[in-house]
Amino acid sequence: MAVYKRGYQRYQGPLTGRFARLMAMPRFAWERLLQQRLVVIMLCLSMLWPLLCMGFVYLANHLDLIPGMGGGLEKMVSINAKFFVVFMNIQAIFTVILAAMAGPGLIAPDLANNALPLYFSRPMTRVDYVLARMMVLAGLLSMVTWAPGVVLFTMQSSMAGWGWFTGNWRLGAGLVAGFLLWILVVSLVAMASSAYVKWRIIAGALVLGFFFILAGVAEMVNAVFRVDWGSLLNPSRSMYHIWCRLLGAELPEGPGTWEYASAIAALVVLLLVVLERKLRPVEVIK
Amino acid sequence: MTLQFRMRQAWTIARIEMRRAFFSRRALWVYLLALFPAVIFIGHGIEMTYRHKRWSGQGTTPAAALDSVNPRDTAEEVLKKAGKPITDRDWRRRKLTEEEETEKGGRIRRYEMVEGRMMMYYDGRRSVRLFFEDGVLKDKSIREEMNFDQDRQAYAGVFQYFYLRLAIFFGCLGIFMNLFRGEMLDKTLHYWFLAPARRDVLLAGKYLAGLTASTVIFTGGAMLSFAGMLWPHESAAVAAYWSGPGMGHLFWYAASAALACVGYGSVFLAAGLLLRNPIIPAAVLLVWESINGFLPDLLQKLSVLYYVQSLCPVPAPADPGMPPLLRTLLSPATPAAKEWAVLGVLAVTVLVLWAAAGAVRRIEINYSTE
Amino acid sequence: MSAPPSNGNRGGAERPVVVCEEVSKFYGEVLGVNRVTLTIPPGITSLVGPNGSGKTTLMNLMTGLIHPDRGSIQVRGISPREPERMMRITGYATQFDAAPRWATGFQFVSTSLELFGLPRAEAESRAWKALERVSLTDAAHRKVAGYSKGMRQRVRLAQAIAHDPEVLVLDEPLNGLDPLVRAETIALFRQWGAEGRHVILSSHVLQEVDVISDQVILIANGMIVAEGEIRGVREEISEHPSQYIIRCRDASRIASLLFSEDHITEIKLNDDRLGMLVMTRSREEFSRALGRIALDGHVIDGVIPADENVDALYEYLIGGGR
Repeated sequence: MAVYKRGYQRYQGPLTGRFARLMAMPRFAWERLLQQRLVVIMLCLSMLWPLLCMGFVYLANHLDLIPGMGGGLEKMVSINAKFFVVFMNIQAIFTVILAAMAGPGLIAPDLANNALPLYFSRPMTRVDYVLARMMVLAGLLSMVTWAPGVVLFTMQSSMAGWGWFTGNWRLGAGLVAGFLLWILVVSLVAMASSAYVKWRIIAGALVLGFFFILAGVAEMVNAVFRVDWGSLLNPSRSMYHIWCRLLGAELPEGPGTWEYASAIAALVVLLLVVLERKLRPVEVIK
Repeated sequence: MTLQFRMRQAWTIARIEMRRAFFSRRALWVYLLALFPAVIFIGHGIEMTYRHKRWSGQGTTPAAALDSVNPRDTAEEVLKKAGKPITDRDWRRRKLTEEEETEKGGRIRRYEMVEGRMMMYYDGRRSVRLFFEDGVLKDKSIREEMNFDQDRQAYAGVFQYFYLRLAIFFGCLGIFMNLFRGEMLDKTLHYWFLAPARRDVLLAGKYLAGLTASTVIFTGGAMLSFAGMLWPHESAAVAAYWSGPGMGHLFWYAASAALACVGYGSVFLAAGLLLRNPIIPAAVLLVWESINGFLPDLLQKLSVLYYVQSLCPVPAPADPGMPPLLRTLLSPATPAAKEWAVLGVLAVTVLVLWAAAGAVRRIEINYSTE
Repeated sequence: MSAPPSNGNRGGAERPVVVCEEVSKFYGEVLGVNRVTLTIPPGITSLVGPNGSGKTTLMNLMTGLIHPDRGSIQVRGISPREPERMMRITGYATQFDAAPRWATGFQFVSTSLELFGLPRAEAESRAWKALERVSLTDAAHRKVAGYSKGMRQRVRLAQAIAHDPEVLVLDEPLNGLDPLVRAETIALFRQWGAEGRHVILSSHVLQEVDVISDQVILIANGMIVAEGEIRGVREEISEHPSQYIIRCRDASRIASLLFSEDHITEIKLNDDRLGMLVMTRSREEFSRALGRIALDGHVIDGVIPADENVDALYEYLIGGGR
C-alpha cells in the first residue's frame, strides 16, 4: 500500500522565509567563531586602532585642552580624507588576518566531508549557500571595518557640527562603500581559498599568501619592467587607490581609478568562477 | 641497529617523501612561486631586446642632444634639438587649477582644459619621454632600458623581498607542513609510525626530503632568474661581470636561498608537529620577519631573515612602495659576518629540530581532533 | 624476515605473550581504557565490545600509535615505545580508511617493506606475495586512492602481513570483504594462530568471532569485562542459567523428568515435540540428570550448549546495546 494511504501526512505547518533559512548558517557559524579564543583576541586587537582614532578625533576637536601647541598640532590631527584612509588601511590588515582565521573553516570542511550534497538536498541553492557563508565573514569583518568607521565619523560629525557633516558627508559614504567593497573582496578570497583547498590550514595560508604574495609580485613586476602597472596585480594597492578616490584624498601615483577598478572587478569575477567550479552539489571521486 | 642502517632508513624515507614533494599536484604552486621571477626576468629580457630592435630601427637620437633638452623648452625647440621622435602623441584633458574651502567646510574645485603632448626618443640605451602642457615641456622622464647595474639592483630587490621574504617562506610553509601536519590531515601518518623506524629517524628522513625539494626548487628558481636577468645584456659586460664579482654573487645568492630553506624548513616542520593550527604562528613569523628592519638590533638578530640577508652579496634597494614615514623608521642592523650568519642559522635549525624530535616521539595518532 | 627473538613472558616462561598492566588512557576527559590488565597468549584473540568501548584504543596502545597515561605494555617482551624493534615483529591493519594518494597498491606495500631494510627486489617480491594472499594482484598497479572500501581493507591487510610478523593486530579486518576473500582470510588467521603467532582482532560479527577465536576479550566502557576461552568465560557467569538444546524422541516425558530437578529453571518444548530448550543453574547436576535419564532407557539424540558463544557472552556481560 502506498505510504500516503496509510495516513502519512507531511508537515504542513508554517515555514520560515528564505532569509530566515539563509540566516541559519551564519547564526551557528558566528556562535562557533566567537567561541574561538584566537578570533576573540584578534577582534579585541583590531579595536585598538579605532579607539586610538577616536582619541585623535576628540583631541582634534578639543585642541584648547593642550595649550601652547599652536597650529602644528592642529595640522597634525586634522580629521580629513587622509585620516580616514589611514584608518581604513590599518583596519584592512586586521580584516585579512581575521579572514585567514575564520574563512577557511567555512567551506573546506563541507568539501572534505562531502557535506555539500546534504546542504543542496535542502531548499537551498548554490547562491544561497555562498551568500550564507559570505554573510558569516561579512558580519565578522563589519565589526572591525565600517561599523567602527561609522562610529568614528558620527563622533567627528557630532563634535565638529552640522557644517562639517554637510561638507564632508562624502567621507562617511566613501568609508562605508570602500569597506563594503573590501569586505566583498576579502570574503571572496577567503571563500575561494576555502573551496580550492580542502585543508583548513592550507586555506588559511592561502588567504595570507594571496595578499602578501600578490603585493610582492606587483612590486617585482614594477621593479623589473620599470613600470607602474604592476600595481594592478596588488588588490590591496588597487583598493587603496579606490578608497582615496571615494574619500576624495590625494591619489597615489600610478594607474588610474578605472584601471584599478577593472583589476578589482576582474579579481571578483575570477573568484566567483573558482567558487562556481568548486561548489558542485555532487561528490566527485578521482 | 647500526647508525648506518638508520641512515639508510632515513634515506629511504626521504626518497619516498621526495617523490611526493617534487611530483605531487600540490607541489605545482611551489614551482610557480619559485619560477615566477625567472619568467618575469626572461619576459623583461625579451621586451628589452624587442624594444631595442624596434626603436633602433626607427633611428636613435644622440645622447647629447637629449641631454640638452631642458624644462620650459617648447615643442618646436625640442624638435629642432632632437629631431623626429619615435613616438608622438597628443591629447586634451581637464586640469585642476584651483581649490577652495567653503565656510561650511566643503570644497569648490575649478578646472581648465590643457593640451597635452608626449614625445619619446631613444639613444640606444635610454628612452626619454617628454611631456608637454600647452606646448611647453613640463616633465622629462628618463628610463634606462639596458642598464646592467639597475638590473642587478632589481635582482637584489627581487631576491630579498620576493624570494627570501615570500616565496621561500610560503614555499617552505607548504612543503614542510605537508610532511607531518599534512599527513595528519590526510589520516596517513600512522603508516609511518607502523614502520620499524625510530621516530627521530622518520623526522630526519622527512626533513631531508623537504630540504632537498625546497633547496632544489628555490635555489634553482633563483639561479634561473639570475640567468634570466643576465641574458639580454651585452656579452662583453656579462663576461666582465663573471670575471669579477659575478661568480661570488651567484654562489652567495644560492647559499642564502639554501640556508633560508634550512632555517624556515626546520621552523615549519616543528610548527606542524607542535601546533594543531600552525597558520597563526606562521602569520606571526611573517609579520615578525616583515617588521624585522624596524626592530632594535638585538631583536633583528632573532630572525631567519637577518642571517640569510647577511649572506646576500648586493644590498637590496629600499622598498619603493614603503610610505616615507615608515622609511624613516627603518634601521637595518649591521649584517652579520658570513660565517656567523651560516653558523647562526645552522644553530637555530639544530635547536628547532631537537625540539621537533622530542615532539615527534610524544606525538599520538588521534585524527579525530584534526 | 629476520625478527629479533622475542619473549614476552616477564617470568621467563616459555610462551611469548602480549601483556598490558594497569593500562589507562584518557582523551582529555573522555575515557579510552581504564586500568586494563591482560595477558594474551599466542593464537587468535578477538576483542569484542560495543562501539566506543575501547577496542581500537587498546589496539593503538599495543602498537604504539598512542601512549598510555598509566601502566605499561609489552608485546612479546618489547615496549611499543621502541618501534624500531617492535614493528619488526608486529603488523597492524588499522581501521583508518585513508591511504597515501601517491601510491599504487603495490608501491604502498613494497615501500613499507623497504623501511625494513630489504633490498628493493626482495621487497617487491614479498609485496607481490602479500598482495596475492589477499587476492589483490589484479589491482596492484592502480592507485590505492581509487580502490573500493573492500580493496583498501585488503591492501591494508597485505601491508600488515607482508613482513611476516609474529604479532598481527587487526581492527575489524573482515569488514567489507566479499565471502570468498573473507573465508581465505579467516583460513590465513587460523594458520597463523596455529603456528604460534598472535592474531589479535576486533570484530562486530560475533558469529565469525565465535568460529575463529581461540579466546575472547570482552570490553565495555574502557574496561575488560571478561577474557579467556569462550567456554571458560561462560562457566564463570553464574547469574545466567546455562542453556542446552536437547534433541530426543520423547521430549514431553524427558521434560517432565527434568522438571523434577531443582536446578532446572525453565524448559521450552519444540513445536515438533522432538526437542527442547532447557535452562539450568548447574551444569554438573544437569549432566548427571541427563545420565540418569539415559540409563532409564530414554533415547537422547544430542545435547548442544545453546549459549556457549560470543553472542550469549555479549548479551550477558555487556547487554543488548550493541
